[in-house]
Parts: sequence; structure tokens; C-alpha cells
Amino acid sequence: MTESNLNLLEALEPKRDAYGFAVRPQHIQTYRQYVNIYKEEEEERSEKWKIFLEQHAKPTEPCFSEVEDRKTLQAEATEMKEKPLPEENKESLHVEASEGNEEAAIEAKEETTSEKEHKVIFQSEATQLNVEAASEEGCRKTCQGEAIKVKEEVDSVDESKETSQTEATELEEGVASKRIKEGDAPSTKLDSAGSTEKPDSASLQESKTEKPDSAHSTESEREKEVQLAEETKTRKVERWAKTRPVLCAIENMMNSRAKKGKNMKNMNMNESGDHLPSIKEARSPEPESEDEFEEKVCVNVRSSREENDAGNEASQESFFPWKEELESLVHGGVPKDLRGEVWQAFVGVKARRVERYYEDLLAQETYEDDQQSNSSGVFRKWKRQIEKDLPRTFPGHPALNDNGRDSLRRLLLAYARHNPSVGYCQAMNFFAGLLLLLMPEENAFWTLVGIIDNYFDGYYTEEMIESQVDQLVFEELMRERFPKLVNHLDYLGVQVAWISGPWFLSIFVNMLPWESVLRIWDVLLFEGNRVMLFRTALALMELYGPALVTTKDAGDAITLLQSLAGSTFDSSQLVLTACMGFLAVTDARLQDLRDKHRPAVLAIVEERTKRGRVWKDSKGLASKLYSFKHDRGSLLEETKPAQEVADGDISNLETRSSNLDELLCSLNADSEVDSLPDLQEQVDWMKVELCRLLEEKRAAILRAEELETALVEMVKEDNRRQLSAKIEQLEQEVADLQQALADKKEQEAAMLKVLMRLEQEQRITEDARRNTEQDADAQRYAVTVLQEKYEKAMASIAQMEKRVVMAESMLEATLQYQSGQAKALSSPRAQRNQASTQDSPRRKAGILSFGLGWRDKNKGKPNFEESTDGKSWEET
Amino acid sequence: MGCSSSLPDRSAGRLSGLNNAENSGVPDAKNLRVKLVLLGDSGVGKSCIVLRFVRGQFDPTSKVVTVGASFLSQTIALQDSTTVKFEIWDTAGQERYAALAPLYYRGAGVAVIVYDITSPESFTKAQYWVKELQKHGSPDIVMALVGNKADLHENREVPVQDGIDYAEKNGMFFIETSAKTADNINQLFEEIAKRLPRPSSS
Repeated sequence: MTESNLNLLEALEPKRDAYGFAVRPQHIQTYRQYVNIYKEEEEERSEKWKIFLEQHAKPTEPCFSEVEDRKTLQAEATEMKEKPLPEENKESLHVEASEGNEEAAIEAKEETTSEKEHKVIFQSEATQLNVEAASEEGCRKTCQGEAIKVKEEVDSVDESKETSQTEATELEEGVASKRIKEGDAPSTKLDSAGSTEKPDSASLQESKTEKPDSAHSTESEREKEVQLAEETKTRKVERWAKTRPVLCAIENMMNSRAKKGKNMKNMNMNESGDHLPSIKEARSPEPESEDEFEEKVCVNVRSSREENDAGNEASQESFFPWKEELESLVHGGVPKDLRGEVWQAFVGVKARRVERYYEDLLAQETYEDDQQSNSSGVFRKWKRQIEKDLPRTFPGHPALNDNGRDSLRRLLLAYARHNPSVGYCQAMNFFAGLLLLLMPEENAFWTLVGIIDNYFDGYYTEEMIESQVDQLVFEELMRERFPKLVNHLDYLGVQVAWISGPWFLSIFVNMLPWESVLRIWDVLLFEGNRVMLFRTALALMELYGPALVTTKDAGDAITLLQSLAGSTFDSSQLVLTACMGFLAVTDARLQDLRDKHRPAVLAIVEERTKRGRVWKDSKGLASKLYSFKHDRGSLLEETKPAQEVADGDISNLETRSSNLDELLCSLNADSEVDSLPDLQEQVDWMKVELCRLLEEKRAAILRAEELETALVEMVKEDNRRQLSAKIEQLEQEVADLQQALADKKEQEAAMLKVLMRLEQEQRITEDARRNTEQDADAQRYAVTVLQEKYEKAMASIAQMEKRVVMAESMLEATLQYQSGQAKALSSPRAQRNQASTQDSPRRKAGILSFGLGWRDKNKGKPNFEESTDGKSWEET
Repeated sequence: MGCSSSLPDRSAGRLSGLNNAENSGVPDAKNLRVKLVLLGDSGVGKSCIVLRFVRGQFDPTSKVVTVGASFLSQTIALQDSTTVKFEIWDTAGQERYAALAPLYYRGAGVAVIVYDITSPESFTKAQYWVKELQKHGSPDIVMALVGNKADLHENREVPVQDGIDYAEKNGMFFIETSAKTADNINQLFEEIAKRLPRPSSS
């Protein structure tokens, strides 16, 4: 049936997924591919969960009888009160009846959770039951009227205009559970193997018929009265449904965790100055009538039980041996129609819930609406922001019509009142919207309280400190796990926190496909801490890191990661990678890392608040309160007693839990409420009381502002001291600089001297150069002179040579002449002269040989002289 | 229309993200890359301006609250054939998210500070951002003051002159835009692109 609904939805709105959320156009194709996988997975997990719940719903049954054994008559009376109504209409709506029965079973089981609580709680439970009966009746009426058609369509909310939207949502809830019952019962009947179911339902029916009751008429009459009286209010305000009994086991386990958390908070508070107990003590002497308002006792008992719990922590772990099994189921995903209730069970909504708290917050709201001037500036700001954001939360979602947005508005306003240290922060609108799609309004409120106050404590406050701390922690983990990827991102200039910041803050809402978001939330809410945030982010990095490493600029890297993350349709792969791949990332490890990085963030925040004074809007106060809460500084202690003097029960400036306590206390204080016969009177009285509370609150705020101004003063003084220190330092620096300047001057003078000396030397060298140049000129001159002389010499030599040649030729001529004469002499006629001529040629030959030798000598000489001459010329 | 401050008409062509590929890698004088951050009060239309600029869309039915910040990029071409790739960080508007803003404006070359001309409060908030950036932004950051929702001029509460004066005093570029009618949206980014310091072409 669920599937047919889904198909219907799909057919109607092809651009929306099975949850009614818009699918981005670029993802429609991929989404279509995954729809069938999702369907298969869903079937598989429904089956698994059914088996699991059948197995573990039973062990709690004995407790039921135990309770019966304990003669808590009043409790039984309340149970009986409930019974007759379903029986009346038994024939017409069998399913309804059995559901009513289940309701009773829940009651009973609720009682088993604590016997002590049970005793005192009974009265409050009675009222609770009335309310429940009222809503149930409304439900039944419509069921009768519109028969089963209603349950065919989840989105038929608009059609049932007559029943207010509130009831319609209730109806949806009821329809959902009915569907399951219907689906379950036949299948088990057909399936002979699944016989476990049969005796279960059989015994239920038995127990129902076993209890005939005489008082039922009067009871139901009274109920109707109450209902009528409260009707307007109930219809508008009260939207509370219990989880189905099969989930009780889980609920119990998680409740103990929620209580533990609370308990720890109380202990912290006590450490910080023992104020809370003193407040309580101060209140206790006040008149306590018989009709003592239950809540007070309830609180006392609860706190005393918490002490026990603290002692029994270890035993609790062993008390739930199937926790691991459940864990693996959760990793596989929670079935759609169980999700709302399972989440509530995980967060421990039942343990957190305080009767009428939500209503009172809303009443406060409407009251202040009447006197607009009353609401404080901060609150008005939140209100405006909420109004701005309402239409921007899942726009176009079929379930978030006008009525849906009204619930969203109420829910967010109530939360802002509940925890002023957070107020309203963008992102919460998405969480609240998501929760409203899965559960009734008040259930959603308490779930949101659990998520923001505990799981994400300090995340969405004015300074968002823990959120910043987590980013630093995540970056460290990234560096440790994916050093290469981080190196690449560093290289591109991309900071991991740019991308992971929005992931964490939105808990992946709008960042991943819805199927994946819900699967992550399943695990996150089950684990009850932020480990899953880190694991999922790391898993995404593991899946997409390889692709990221290939990017070449910052823009591309971020775009790629965004689009890849946005198309992570394989939710099972993601969740399994996250849960199995990063087991070393544990809460303890994260806490250590947070402690390591927190001081840096706090320092920056402190800096910001200092300079941001002008723009503060009690913002500084918030941050201070935050650091007080974490440092438990002395100023907190100053603040508190002052308030106590002013009036004992103002503690709303404190943390959220005390805010809650305050309300309880104020309710306790005025136990007359209960004794007032007339509801109108009660309302009046409540108004007066509210007025008083508001005045007190204003007084406290004033006081806080005073304190803050005092703080500002102190901070300023601090600044002055710092400034004077700085001035001194600067003066010192100036002196140093002057000294340095003097030194520099001396150095300069010395340098000048050196320079002058250098110049002188330069001049000297210049002179020397000039001298050498003159020398060189002189030498050159000498060379030319020599050259001339040489040329002259050469010329004379040439003349001489000519002369020699002439002489030679003359000599030869003479020789020839002589030889001619000698021939003539050799005739007889000349013989007489023979002797003398013989002598004379010999003499002449002697002169000739001398002349020739000299000539030869002269011929070789000029060559040599020329070469040497050239050389010497070059040298000069 | 929007009463933009003495801006001559500009007609630079736009490339709808086509040259991402050729733009990747080291930016040069012709292909600039710049980180741009949008700041301003919640609901003034920061996301709408970006969506109008990047996707050319304006869909009042699908407006979604920005948590943390969101990223988009877009490349435009100027007349002198330079291209500028804007890497746009659109931040969350709620006051407390200012604590995370330094993460995004650190190292940004351009800051676009947006206010709503129908909301004096948002104008005050814009001035806060200008001061914050003057103190903590990079010293050579190019700042633009943008009065959005110019189409709602009948509800105007911040006079144009106020915007012009304030921008002038702080050495910013001023323009009034309308993401709804697309008025001056492209002009805004083109004007910013022209004011970017160019890497010296040595």
C-alpha cells in the first residue's frame, strides 16, 4: 500500500522523490534508476525490522504482568479509562480497537520503565490519556466518516479540511500504524511460520476483553468534558502521539541514554556552583497540598532515579544484548513507515518530554503576541528570521501547505523560547520541517530539542563555536586520512572547510539525495553524537577524492565535489563506507581533537566580540555565557547569586535545561493551579503567572545587561592596560631607532672619509697615468727621430751601393782591359815586360777580390736590418 | 531602471561556462580567475543574484535558505577578449553565520555586498560588512555595493543617493539591480571584471 502511494506521488509529481522533495532536473534520470533499488531495499529492511521487533517486543511483556502484580490501582484505572472507548466501536473498526489496546500496552510498558515514576506519574498520565483519547476519538470519527479512503492517500491532508490539519497529521500517523498492522497481521496468518505474532495479538485481545469496567461511562463522560474544555486548545496545540509498543524496547534503551545525558548536565550544573539544588530547596517549604502538582514530584523522583541510573550505567549496557543487532539494522536503514517513531525512540523523546511544556511555550507566544512590546529584541529578531525562512523551507513540498507551515512556525518559535542560547538558527528550519513530515508536532519538538540541545550542543548558538571546532577537527582527520587529496586541495587553494562546513551545518540536508540524507540521519540519531557526520564526510571524500585530484583549479574542484555529492544516490554504499571504513573515528577521539582545537576558536570568537561591540545584540552575552558554561568561570557564580537574591526562580539566563527547570519550578510554586475548579480561572491565573514570570525575566535580563556593561568596562580597562604596555613598547622602539640612526650617521661620516681618501688616490693614479702617457709620447717621438735617421742612413747606403756597383763595373772594365793587354804582352814583342806584368795583375786581383767581398757583405746586410727595424717599430 | 550610477551602457558578450576547459590552468593576462564572495543580510537576494547571473533563472517558488555557503562559477568574456572566471561563494545571511564568513572572504579578490532597497536594516548591515572587509579583507579587494530588488521601487526605503554616497566614500563601485527582472545583473559582473587588477603583461 505504501508503495502504491509512492507510485501515485511519483506519477503526480515526476520531479519529486518518494518523500515529496524536489529532485534536481539533472538528477531525475539517475533517480529513476535508483527508485527500484530503493524499493527492493525498503522491502528487505521492512522484513528484517519486522522480525527484529517481533523478537524483541516480547521480552518486555513480562514486565507488563509485573506491573499488574504491583498493585498500582490507579494506573489500572487509567488503563481502564482507555479501554471502553475502543470497545464501543469495536465492530466498526476492528483495527482501531486493537490499536487502542496497543495504546494501553504502551502505557503499561511505560510504567515498567520505572516503578517509582509510575506511582507518582499516574495523575499526569491521566491527563495525558485524556488528550490522547481526544485525539483518538477525533481520529476515529473521521475514520468512520471517511472510512478507509483516508488511509489510502498520504497526501489527502487537504481533503480532510473539516478535521483540522492537526488531526489530519495525527490521522496520517494512525493510518501509518494501521497500515503496518494490517500488513502484518494477514501475512503472519498466511505465513504459518510467523506464528509468533498470533499469540501476541491473541493475548492482547484477551487482556482487552478481560477488563470489563463499570466506571467507564462516567469516566468517558468526564473525559468528554475535559475534552470539550480543552478542545480548542487541543486542536490547535496538542499534537502528541506515542510510539507503537513494539518499539518500546528500543525506546527504553535510548531513554536511559537521554536521561544519562540529562543527569550529566545536572551534575555539571552542580559542580558549577550548586545553585539548582538550592533553588529547589528554597521552593520545597512552600505549601504542598494533597493535590501537589505531579510534575514536581515527578521531577524529584526522576532526578533521584537518575542517580540510580548513574550507578547502574554498566548494567544497562548488558541489559540490551541485542544492541549490536539493532545497530546493523540501523546501518541497513530504517523502514519508511517506522522512521518517525524509531527516530523518536532513538532521541528518547518520551524521557525528554515534560507534560504541557510545549503548550506553555506556545501559550507564552500567543500571550506575547497580544502585548507586542513585551517580547525582547532578540526574540523579535528570531521571529522575523523565522518568518523569512518559512517559505524558503522545502518550497513546494506537498505536505508543507499553509497548515504545515503554521506547525513549522510554532515549532521553531517554541524551540527559540525553550533554548534562548540558540534561539533560531538557519538550518533548524530544515530539521524541523523534516521532522514534521515524519511525526506529529509535539513529537517533532522534542526530537528537535534532543538533536539541537544534546547532539549538536553549541553548534547553532550565536557564535557557532562547536561548528567551527568541528571544522578544524575534520581538517585534521582529512590530513591524516587523505594526505594526497589535501595536498592537492592546498595546491589549488581550496580549504576543506569551505565544503564540509555546509555539509555539517545542514547535516547533509539539501547536500545529498534524500534517501542518503535519511539513511545518515538514521545512524546519527541512533548513535546520539556527531560521529556519523565525520564518517559520512570522510566517506564522501574517499568516494570522490580520486576524481578531485584530477581537477586543475579551485572552482572546478568545488563544483565537481558539489555535484558528485549531490548525486550520491547509492545510499547503501555511502552509509556502509562511512560506518565500516572509518571505525577509528570514534566519539572519544573526536572529543580529544575538539579539546585540542577549541582554544583557537574561542580566541578568535573573543576577538570578534570585542571589536563587534557596536553590532552586538546581546550577542556578546551569549558567547560569554557559552564560555562560562564551558569554563565554569567565577563570573557565573557572581551572576547566579545576584539573581537568586532578586528572585529565587529566575534561571532562564542559564543553560537550556535550567530554562526547563524554571518552568517546572514555577509550576510547582503555584500548586493552587490544580485546586482551581474553573479552567477559565486557571487560564487567568496562568496569565498572571506568565506576567510575573516575564517581569522577572525582564529584571533578569536587565541585571544581565548591567553585568555585561560591567564586563565591557572590564574589558575596556584591560584594553587600556594593554595599550599603555604597547605605548611603552613603542617608545622603547623609537629610542632604539634613534640610537640606530645615530650609529648610521657615524657610519656615514666614516664612509665619507674613506671616500675622500679614495678620491685622492684616484687623483694620484690619474697623474701617474698622465706621466706615463707623456713618457710614451716622448718615446714615440724618439722612435720617429730614429726612423728618420735610419731612413737617411738607408738612403746613403743605397747611394753607396750604387757607387759600389759603379766601382765594380769599372773594376770589371779594368779587368777586361788588363786581360786584353796581357794577351798583347804574351806576343814576343811583349815578353820583355812579362815579369812586371805578372806582378801587377796579382796586385789588381787583390783589390778586386776585396771589392767583391764587400759587395756580398752589403747585399746580405740590408735584409736583416729591415726586419729588425720593423719589429722595433711595432714595439714602440 | 535600477538607477545605476552613471554607468555607460556596456555590451560585453557572455559565454555561458563554455570556456571552462580552456580557462583551466594558470591564469594569464587574457584569462583571469577570481574568487568572489557575496555578503549581506538574510533575504536580500544574494542567492537570487547568483542564480540569475549563472543560470539565468529566477524562480520565486524554489528559493531555499542558504546554510553555511554555496558555490557556483561562471565565466564571462569582455570586449577586449579577456575572459574572467568568477568563483562565487554565496554566504548565508543570518547574523550568526558572520562567524563563518572570514572562511569565505579570506583571499577573495572581489566582495559583492548586497542590500535590499526596501529594507534600511539591510543597508545598515551592508555597512557593517564594508567595515569588516576593510579591516579584515585583503587590502586590494574590489568591493561592490549592490542595492537589490530595484523592481520594488514603490516600496523603496533606501534612497539611491544614500547608496551612491556611501559607495563613493568607501571607494566602492555601486549599482542597483533586480534579480527578478535581470536588470543590471550582467552589468554588475562586467563592471567588476573591468576593475580587476590585471597581471602585468611583461
